[in-house]
Amino acid sequence: MKIVIRLFLLAAVVALGWWLWTVFFPSPERVVLKRMQSLAELLTFKSDISNLGRESRASEFTGYFSVDTEIVVDVPELGAHTLSGRDEVREAGNGGFASAPSLSVSFLDATVKIGPDKQTADVSCTLKASAGNDKDYGVQELRFQWKKIEGTWQITRAETVKTLR
Amino acid sequence: MPVSNPMEQPPKPHWFRVMIIGRRPRRTMVRIVVLVAVCIILRQFVLLPIQVDGISMLPTYHTGQINCVNRLAYLRHEPQRGDVVSVRLAGDSVMYMKRIIGLPGESVAFHSGKTYINGEPLDEPYLKNPCDWEAGPFECATNEYYVVGDNRSMPIGLHTQGRAERDRIVGKVLL
Repeated sequence: MKIVIRLFLLAAVVALGWWLWTVFFPSPERVVLKRMQSLAELLTFKSDISNLGRESRASEFTGYFSVDTEIVVDVPELGAHTLSGRDEVREAGNGGFASAPSLSVSFLDATVKIGPDKQTADVSCTLKASAGNDKDYGVQELRFQWKKIEGTWQITRAETVKTLR
Repeated sequence: MPVSNPMEQPPKPHWFRVMIIGRRPRRTMVRIVVLVAVCIILRQFVLLPIQVDGISMLPTYHTGQINCVNRLAYLRHEPQRGDVVSVRLAGDSVMYMKRIIGLPGESVAFHSGKTYINGEPLDEPYLKNPCDWEAGPFECATNEYYVVGDNRSMPIGLHTQGRAERDRIVGKVLL
């Protein structure tokens, strides 16, 4: 019986050690997923948010993108648009945060593929978003390319994916 | 030396305990474990529960309906024309529910609201709403199926439809 208890305690200690290791030294996949999660939280806001809060979010939003980032949007409702560079993203972000009454965003089914150099990552996910008090939401498949720049993962490219072509 | 009376019966468990965990708790525990395992396996590999949201499959399916997707439906044969299937996006948290009208290698077109497959009109008894779509022809590649909703009364630009690759078809809608 003592052996069983000792084995159980040993397994518990190993599990705890593993968990602590992943907390203090997270894998690149985990870091990128966390960035995606925080981006979704940043893009989610209620209608009672102040103008200052909107500006602050827009500024923080821009920080997720690299200087030479490219965003390619091609959906039937909006047509095809490309944003090149952080300045265009900032402009679009400011406009979006200022005009949307409220926004709810989540990235579902995110899968991360880390490049062999561990400095780049491809993420595919489904965007689920609704604006204002509209109960209807839109879904759109997205693909992101992330790159570790000066220790921070930033989006170098984001594009919409045509699920049905 | 203690002697037991062979005629003595073990004490009867309380009726409430019998009702909750049965007369044999170990067997009940085994049943629960097996039931949970079966449910997890069914959910993961066989039947995927879904809730319909949106108007594109009206009047066949409407918002709020609960259904299941049979993941094993196309294990022995490929999807057929007329099947209502679920098409995954990045994963299966949110999927499109559509009807297959075009098979691999076929050409699909809409003229005056009527569907044409390789130039031949397609009989679609499931369509109840009027349609005026003009689009196509669209050629399906060898691994593509043309999927569309049953609500063709909405403008084609607002209706998500098109060619889906085979590996995006998760399964057939059960009911």
